Amino acid sequence: MPWPPKVFWVGVVVYYGFTALCWIAEATAGINHIVGLPFWYAAFLGSFVIPLVMSVIYFYFPEKAEEARGGA
Amino acid sequence: MATVEAPVVGITVLYFLAIIVIGYYSRQRLKSATDYYVAGRQVGAVVNGLALESTYLSPASMLGLPAYVFILGYPFWWAMAAIIAGMPIATLLTASALRKYAPTSFADYYADRYNDERLRWVVGIVTVIGAVLYITLSIVGMALFLLAVAKVPYIIGIVVGTIIVMLYVVWGGMIATSWNAAFQAFLMTVAAVIAAVAILVKLGGVNGFYEAVAANNPKFWNTPSDPEPPHLLSGTWIAVIGWFFVWHYGFATMPYTVVRFFTTMDIKTARRSIFWCTLAAGIFYMALQIIGAASKLMIETGPMGGEGANAVAILKSYMAQYGVGGWTDYSMVAAVEALQNPWILGVLCAGGLAIAMSTAAGWVMVVNTIVTRDWGDMMLKSRYAKENPIALARIISVIFLLVGLVIAINPPGLVLDLSGWAFVVIISALGPGLILGLWWKRATRAAMWTTAVIMTPLHLFAWLRAKLPVEQGGLGHHAFFFLNDVLFGDKTALITPHQVWAIPVGFILFIVVSLLTKPVEEEAVQKYCVELTKEV
Repeated sequence: MPWPPKVFWVGVVVYYGFTALCWIAEATAGINHIVGLPFWYAAFLGSFVIPLVMSVIYFYFPEKAEEARGGA
Repeated sequence: MATVEAPVVGITVLYFLAIIVIGYYSRQRLKSATDYYVAGRQVGAVVNGLALESTYLSPASMLGLPAYVFILGYPFWWAMAAIIAGMPIATLLTASALRKYAPTSFADYYADRYNDERLRWVVGIVTVIGAVLYITLSIVGMALFLLAVAKVPYIIGIVVGTIIVMLYVVWGGMIATSWNAAFQAFLMTVAAVIAAVAILVKLGGVNGFYEAVAANNPKFWNTPSDPEPPHLLSGTWIAVIGWFFVWHYGFATMPYTVVRFFTTMDIKTARRSIFWCTLAAGIFYMALQIIGAASKLMIETGPMGGEGANAVAILKSYMAQYGVGGWTDYSMVAAVEALQNPWILGVLCAGGLAIAMSTAAGWVMVVNTIVTRDWGDMMLKSRYAKENPIALARIISVIFLLVGLVIAINPPGLVLDLSGWAFVVIISALGPGLILGLWWKRATRAAMWTTAVIMTPLHLFAWLRAKLPVEQGGLGHHAFFFLNDVLFGDKTALITPHQVWAIPVGFILFIVVSLLTKPVEEEAVQKYCVELTKEV
């Protein structure tokens, strides 16, 4: 059965894991009430940096694997 | 409300001229039907990435999402975060494999993978329904920006906007659409960033912004775990999780993004284009999150506000004055208008037009390919379609834009809302067949038919059942689960925004039917499930 490459799962686990941790921290420690913090974890990290890092590893590692196979 | 100032008019006119010029010159590169449908598969990573951003993000993003943040509070930021995170997920889930396959139309994959040409009809019909709704929404969006910012009468706005999109789609097909969409992505991102930075500067940076918003609306930063959540629809964690997932997988499966994977030079370019898309869209959404969060404060303390001002009342006065759309459609414009800077308003107007036009053009390209090539040439065996593909595609483009224009003249509120339904119906009816067709050998033709044929009307019924007012037999809001009153005796018991349940139900239905029916021929499975997904 075909299966997406490992790097796909790394990105998915990092993103969903980060989101779940933020929600748990909001529900238990109320981090959403720390002045300015929601902007940094939900907007800057959650909406920009982490998706961007995912998009980088999703082209970098497949390209590296192609080079190792002697492809393009 | 401010009267229209010279910079607003100047920037808007310059924007129109720029996209007309890009469209006109791109037609010189149009040599074949492949150029018209998929830009000759010569689009680079940066242009395709930016085009993906502006095509995927519709006026619903620029007008609707800041309004949702305004109403539902900070928890809605996570729904926006998930839309961006859905972009990279598509890279290895669908984009790489589909570029390797290199089809021409959205329906090609379904017909080939499931070895059934008739799927071109069913996939095409679902797509055409979505296209009409989205094209209408986009035309209304264009006119709304022209009306609210540049004070152009609504009817003139819809006509001018439609004619300009028509010009460049007819001239240059996917080539013009790609270059214009890239330019439009740049413009809409810059517009939102300028407005957001101006708001942050005015409020004293990130911390000042947080505190000012909290002072204006003490519930805004709350979550479902706080005693008073910002709103009923963001009041439970199930609701927050529902909002998170409702649009999350759209990027991987929506026709207007999927066809963009076909236009790139190669698989490497397809992957890299999603990086550029995520970069630009992430910046754009951060800006929209700030604008949405600050809307109420900006409106109530701006020139229209004052002591005891109420943002909703002010927005309702906008709606009464302009007579188009709902009051929430004006929150973004009113918030930026409160900055009292005509240059920022001018850029916002151009950015709003950009996001609306790129989505309309993207959908027109999807449907003109399906109607001309899949239906006219391949299914109906029309000689005219075979011999004159570009001419027919141009005629089809004009027809779809005119249909959107006619509906947009007096758009029923329900039609505009239905674009939300269309988005989810495409993911739930066509998404399982696309994703599982690549990653699951057992995916069958019968499952593809069943899911498409059942999920489309079922989701329409469920959406209407939830959305319509109680007196019309509904529950009152599309975010209510449509069986709440039957199962729980309470119409608000379970919040499932945009019927997010439809997506897992679509996948489950597809899996069950696949397990009960005969797999497609081994050759098709080998090609689509093994060769395409190998080393993506």
